[in-house]
Amino acid sequence: MTTLALFALGILAGTVAHTFVDQRPKDNPYAALPKVEEPRVAHEVVEAIGKDEPETLAKLMPATMLTDLDTALQPIIDVRTTKFVGAVESEGRLLSAYVVTGKTTEGADIVVGFVLRVANDQVVGVN
Amino acid sequence: MGLGRLISGWMGTVLVGALLGFVISAAIGVFVQDSGLFGASGESPIARAYMLGLLERNPNSIVSIRPNHGIAQRAAELQGADTSRNASSITPLSLTYIGGASAGMYQVHIYAVGLRNAQGVDQFFPLALTIYGGKVVRSE
Repeated sequence: MTTLALFALGILAGTVAHTFVDQRPKDNPYAALPKVEEPRVAHEVVEAIGKDEPETLAKLMPATMLTDLDTALQPIIDVRTTKFVGAVESEGRLLSAYVVTGKTTEGADIVVGFVLRVANDQVVGVN
Repeated sequence: MGLGRLISGWMGTVLVGALLGFVISAAIGVFVQDSGLFGASGESPIARAYMLGLLERNPNSIVSIRPNHGIAQRAAELQGADTSRNASSITPLSLTYIGGASAGMYQVHIYAVGLRNAQGVDQFFPLALTIYGGKVVRSE
């Protein structure tokens, strides 16, 4: 019984110690924009990436943007998952952000992020 | 059993419990941050510090959270930051954490930045940070 109580006390102490060690982000002194819903056109692009459909992607984006997308996805060559993480808008310019997990040429698991720029219901850029 | 052995046994039990409590708290913290439960944004303090250092044009404030650079490169960055600050060429307008995720040791955090340049033109662009081993290893 004493051992169990000491063990519980230890867990409590460890939890308290973690709250002191754990860092929180510094305050943001700048304005933060409200989140908006995922734009449909951006969703279609990312869906094509997730389903590994180059034909669909070729119809949705011009060659220059496909090159930018290829750069943004580096070093992933085999996409496993795609996830929409959020979108924000400023004066009609929309940024829709995604996280992609996949494998590199060496077979290592990695995660990368990229952002689709959307304006007038069209994808106008990739970062 | 001797008193010393009894006490060392108790201390061992407390230490193992403390270690377990710390690890469990850390794991729960990561899960809550990633899932956005209880209003957690998932934002990393390292990513936030890096972004603030960039917007404040203060390379010194982020030196510990990015890969090591050579002395010449660091000096060039300081020169660039001084020039930029003195010219007041940009005014940060907004900094929005859009979201992020982690896979193994890698974390990705994506921000939207609003700036006003020297010509008074507003710019709005994203920045994706990749964090590995407590350092920002990629920023684009």
